[in-house]
Amino acid sequence: MATPNGNGSHTARKVALVTGITGQDGSYLTEFLLGKGYQVHGLIRRSSNYNTQRINHIYVDPHNANKALMKLHYADLSDASSLRRWLDVIKPDEVYNLAAQSHVAVSFEIPDYTADVVATGSLRLLEAVRSHMADNARTIKYYQAGSSEMFGSTPPPQSETTPFHPRSPYAASKVAAHWYTVNYREAYGLYACNGILFNHESPRRGENFVTRKITRALGRIKVGLQTKLFLGNIQASRDWGFAGDYVEAMWLMLQQEKPDDYVVATEESHTVEEFLNVSFGYLGLNWKDHVEIDKRYFRPTEVDNLKGDASKAKEVLKWKPKVGFEQLVKMMVDEDLEMAKREKVLVDAGYIDAKQQP
Amino acid sequence: MASQDNVSRSEAPNGSDSHIAPTTKVAFVTGITGQDGSYLTEFLLQKGYEVHGLIRRSSNYNTQRINHIYVDPHNANKARMKLHYADLSDASSLRRWLDVIKPHEVYNLAAQSHVAVSFEIPDYTADVVATGALRLLEAVRSHMADTGRTIKYYQAGSSEMFGSTPPPQSETTPFHPRSPYAASKCAAHWYTVNYREAYNLYACNGILFNHESPRRGENFVTRKITRALGRIKVGLQTKLFLGNIQASRDWGFAGDYVEAMWLMLQQEKPDDYVVATEESHTVEEFLEVSFGYLGLNWKDHVEIDKRYFRPTEVDNLKGDASKAKEGLKWKPKVGFVQLVKMMVDEDLETAKREKVLVDAGYIDAQQQP
Repeated sequence: MATPNGNGSHTARKVALVTGITGQDGSYLTEFLLGKGYQVHGLIRRSSNYNTQRINHIYVDPHNANKALMKLHYADLSDASSLRRWLDVIKPDEVYNLAAQSHVAVSFEIPDYTADVVATGSLRLLEAVRSHMADNARTIKYYQAGSSEMFGSTPPPQSETTPFHPRSPYAASKVAAHWYTVNYREAYGLYACNGILFNHESPRRGENFVTRKITRALGRIKVGLQTKLFLGNIQASRDWGFAGDYVEAMWLMLQQEKPDDYVVATEESHTVEEFLNVSFGYLGLNWKDHVEIDKRYFRPTEVDNLKGDASKAKEVLKWKPKVGFEQLVKMMVDEDLEMAKREKVLVDAGYIDAKQQP
Repeated sequence: MASQDNVSRSEAPNGSDSHIAPTTKVAFVTGITGQDGSYLTEFLLQKGYEVHGLIRRSSNYNTQRINHIYVDPHNANKARMKLHYADLSDASSLRRWLDVIKPHEVYNLAAQSHVAVSFEIPDYTADVVATGALRLLEAVRSHMADTGRTIKYYQAGSSEMFGSTPPPQSETTPFHPRSPYAASKCAAHWYTVNYREAYNLYACNGILFNHESPRRGENFVTRKITRALGRIKVGLQTKLFLGNIQASRDWGFAGDYVEAMWLMLQQEKPDDYVVATEESHTVEEFLEVSFGYLGLNWKDHVEIDKRYFRPTEVDNLKGDASKAKEGLKWKPKVGFVQLVKMMVDEDLETAKREKVLVDAGYIDAQQQP
């Protein structure tokens, strides 16, 4: 344990290191692990802007160190020495590699960067873990965030043995990271798992992922702050679950006798159009009055249909999703409607210019 | 050679280009989401430029400082500021956007900009600040060679390059960097000079001394102080932990300094310029003025914490800006006391708004001692 605790008594508190702690999954995982009594350390990128919005409610100033069970450190997956540095200082029991350039469409625009962080970055982290363990004679369990995007154009349902066919630089990078992880497990006996998670959403989802893009726009449309929503291919079909359920599966993978790879999914698939139907319908609106199709949002290569087969996770990890599709949509719409109402207050008071969007 | 073809200038089709004069100058700004990037963008838009910014991708919102300028791309006929994803660590992203945007001027403001943090992530800092500058210079050079166009280039230098060399510091003062950040800035400085000399690129180094504002990042000492002061005044915190308060800096207002950047690119010949107020103050003086302005005594609230001391310190920076004054006809408008008050005023307002949220139960005030 790197940090002394106040009362000096022996503690078996486990220590987790999370990359991508500022993201959706990172914030839910941190809450989950703190709930289990862990001390959680997160690696964040440095910016002159505030980037810890999702974990601010958990953050405690380091000068109140005896209360702070979550601590943040500057690093970058492109910087191998920063990864090794923090492993040596923090000495974690578990490492969750959630960090990524996580947007599929953006990966077509910045493919090199995406590959460097998502693919090579995971290799840097694996190597840092391996060498830290060798030098310190410690054991670390390692979780790699895989993605259903790796299956790409291979038809559903997709399980752990389904062949990959990535359709974007993001997906190809995730495939590389998957195989680095498998190789480190096989070559060095490292307890390393790939969590092949299908799409998972929440009110904390990034605003340019289609589900959140829809619910955010819907809330604003409902209160009169905008009228239109521009989308791409609304026939794309995805297996959407709730991120808060999925982080439990990540943890469960690291509590087994042996490391393995697992698909995590609801096993139900819906199109973007169905998401529109349910979300707009919930607020008594007709999506066809507001949605315009804009070719700029189509991908050069598309993934038509993802639907997971999560039987292994259900049998072995005893995991199952709690929040279904409709409940997820309503959860997101509810929170984004509240947010839009708050924005409306600021617009009416003259603080925000509502004309920024059509 | 200005591009005559408005439509090919950017990927996003915009409704009608007819209102954009063919002589509209196009600027390309890295680090547009930062303090300087936001003031420079406002300045250039006022001068009638079209401004394109490169931003890093994050699942978090990172455009807070330019949100008031941002117009949705679907209202493209109104939007004269456009944002694009890229990274200084990614050479191809830089060349891609130069080819699409075809700017007349490039301002390289992007960096891992915190000196203390650079001791923790030196490799990353060097990759972005030093090698990143080189990637951008090379992208500009090769774009110009391939298209026959001309681009003027501004490199954000830093007084930190002078480091331990005693003041006053001018363009000819020897460098002695005292951090990975400063050493990286020295490298970027010399890459820029080399590209100017080897290829006749119109490239300038702006050696700006510290410049602050209400938009300054919250862990730079000036903003750290005024932010804490506002919260202390409304009762949201009691203590402020600082490091070496004897460090002395030449502090100006960022809004004044971006004009100097632009002026450097409007001259007949490219050159390097120091930009500074030519007055130096210690952190302790900043505390006196800021706390005194709100009727408080900083000694009741400030504790010195060794964790904020740097492994190697820069004791004293004070610029000699005579070349900028004579050559660019630039001078700072906002002085030290006015700057401090400007920052305290805004951070007091921010703290009052926070207090409203705390009192209504939305924020936990106990996060800080």
